[in-house]
Amino acid sequence: MTAAAPEPGSRKEPQWAMVIDLQKCIGCDTCTVSCKAENRTPPGISYNVVIAMELGEFPNTRRAYLPRPCMQCDSPPCAGVCPVGATYKGESGVVIIDHDRCIGCRYCIAACPYGARSFDFGEGYDEMIAYAEVQAPEYGVRRGPRWRGEAPIGTVRKCTFCLHRINRGEEPACVETCIGDARYFGDLNDPNSVVAKLASSPRAFRLREELGTQPRVIYLK
Amino acid sequence: MSALTRDEAALRLDHEQTAPGPNRLMRAGWYLLLVTLMAAGGIAVLQRTVNGLAATNLTSTTPWGAWIAFYIYFVGLSAGAFLLSSLIYVFGMTRFEQVGRMALLTALVSMIVALVFVLIDLGRMERALSALVHFNWLSPLAWEMRFYLIYILLLAAEFWFAMRADLVRRAARSRLARWLSLGSRSTDTAQDHRMLRVLGTIGVPIAIFGVHGGTGTIFAIVKARGMWFSALTPIVFIVSALVSGTALLALLYILRQKALRRPVDSRMAADLGKLLGGFLLVDLGLLLYEYLVPLLSMAPHETEVLHVMMEGPYAWSFWILQLGIGMVAPAIILMTRLRESVPLTALAALMVVVGIVGVRFNIVVPPLVIPTLRGLPAGQYFPSAVEWWSSAGIIAMGLLLFSLAADLLPVDDDAHEIGGTAHD
Repeated sequence: MTAAAPEPGSRKEPQWAMVIDLQKCIGCDTCTVSCKAENRTPPGISYNVVIAMELGEFPNTRRAYLPRPCMQCDSPPCAGVCPVGATYKGESGVVIIDHDRCIGCRYCIAACPYGARSFDFGEGYDEMIAYAEVQAPEYGVRRGPRWRGEAPIGTVRKCTFCLHRINRGEEPACVETCIGDARYFGDLNDPNSVVAKLASSPRAFRLREELGTQPRVIYLK
Repeated sequence: MSALTRDEAALRLDHEQTAPGPNRLMRAGWYLLLVTLMAAGGIAVLQRTVNGLAATNLTSTTPWGAWIAFYIYFVGLSAGAFLLSSLIYVFGMTRFEQVGRMALLTALVSMIVALVFVLIDLGRMERALSALVHFNWLSPLAWEMRFYLIYILLLAAEFWFAMRADLVRRAARSRLARWLSLGSRSTDTAQDHRMLRVLGTIGVPIAIFGVHGGTGTIFAIVKARGMWFSALTPIVFIVSALVSGTALLALLYILRQKALRRPVDSRMAADLGKLLGGFLLVDLGLLLYEYLVPLLSMAPHETEVLHVMMEGPYAWSFWILQLGIGMVAPAIILMTRLRESVPLTALAALMVVVGIVGVRFNIVVPPLVIPTLRGLPAGQYFPSAVEWWSSAGIIAMGLLLFSLAADLLPVDDDAHEIGGTAHD
């Protein structure tokens, strides 16, 4: 009611971004594995994958790797299409899903240009003891055991830059575990941060830039 | 229960008085078939409810499949049938008046079927109504849910006004008709016709821009996917709605007359066929542009979709269902003198009604099979048994609703049938 509330555009919150140096990525999939362990994602769901590509024609070929977390777009197509506003751009730039509101229509999955969203079909690693006892710690929400009928089963899931870790002052799991130190994480608004500096490097590019989604994940070629 | 049987008795009396009634055995067989299909579908829906979407062959790569294809198929049938009814009630093409109420009933039932398909496709079915509480004005789907609701209410109102006088006429001998007449007494239809014109006039833009153009917009705004992201998409949806709705109506009209052992007005069947042929030609023209532009502009992420459609695992759906059965073969019948034969017109209409299923499947699935980023796994999708059976059951439910309404309500003009006031 009073003028004390900060303006939404003022961006007092840190604006989280990730830089991935493709020259340093060796395609070891550690990010994928640590992400699965951290976020306890069920079978078939990986927030973070490494796309391996073979470029060129034999014998002039080369292998390339492209790690792909959620891009946390600045104009996210997924948030635009959500009929109930269950997915939205959070204050710190992370695209968030409200699992208690999502109706599971999967329009956002169809609309995501990066294939970064997954539907939770309710499967689990039943062979792992106590897998279902602890639910994913997404956004710091403790959901208790993974039981049928409980969110996020039946809703859409995605990478959150490990928001629950960020809130504790830690880096995302994939950044912390990256063997080649190929990932950098930080505040884009802080001109002295490594990510802010690397973001303006001539090597910097973003995926499918022609779509105007303005991803928060910046690659170095 | 007793009210229902009394209504049926009254109805049977009706048919005995007016037209030769339908074969009782055939009718019983028809209802038995529908109930059996619904029971099988019910088991599938139960499995889906217990196991969630894991009972389907959907994945995170191909999140939409047969149910969404059937959803847009039935929205199309509804919008098409409704627009045809407005040719009669708004634009005064009275030569089609015989099928006016049936068009409204078809539109209403199709819309209910469409919404059931959306409902079972939701990962969280129990939150379906919360979609009406929360609203994201940027999302075409959010707008659609509201448009569908308004449209259904409008259809129900129009259907009621179209039948009102006949309900009043039947009120003396049928409790159902008395109850449905909602206390109105007059058998004068002038006021009803005015209401029909007003409601139809409001309904036309709602059906074109809201219901069907809007459903096309759901796909058209998805810039991530080839062949969806085009301003032509909503237009194609509207035209193919006209095609499928007209075809369904022509088919239902001819089949129903045959089943009730009533004469088929061959002129009207031919006129409906001519209309259908015209819509088909426009649809084929749009199809040409829809494919020519991406092909000649060499837009790779669009031509990839066309490759999957034409040469990939869904080629049968494109060449046989969509193009062969759905468009070319019926166009040949309807564009030549063959259309003068009522059975051939019915065949052409049937082919369109079946073929459009392929059109809808091709809209939904191939663009989702192409990975959004090169190197990500490509999708693979073919409906599971649960999806097939539940779809069959839901369609049977729609046919049951239609048949019951057609049996119990004055879907045909009572006065017309008795020969009181012919309209043309």
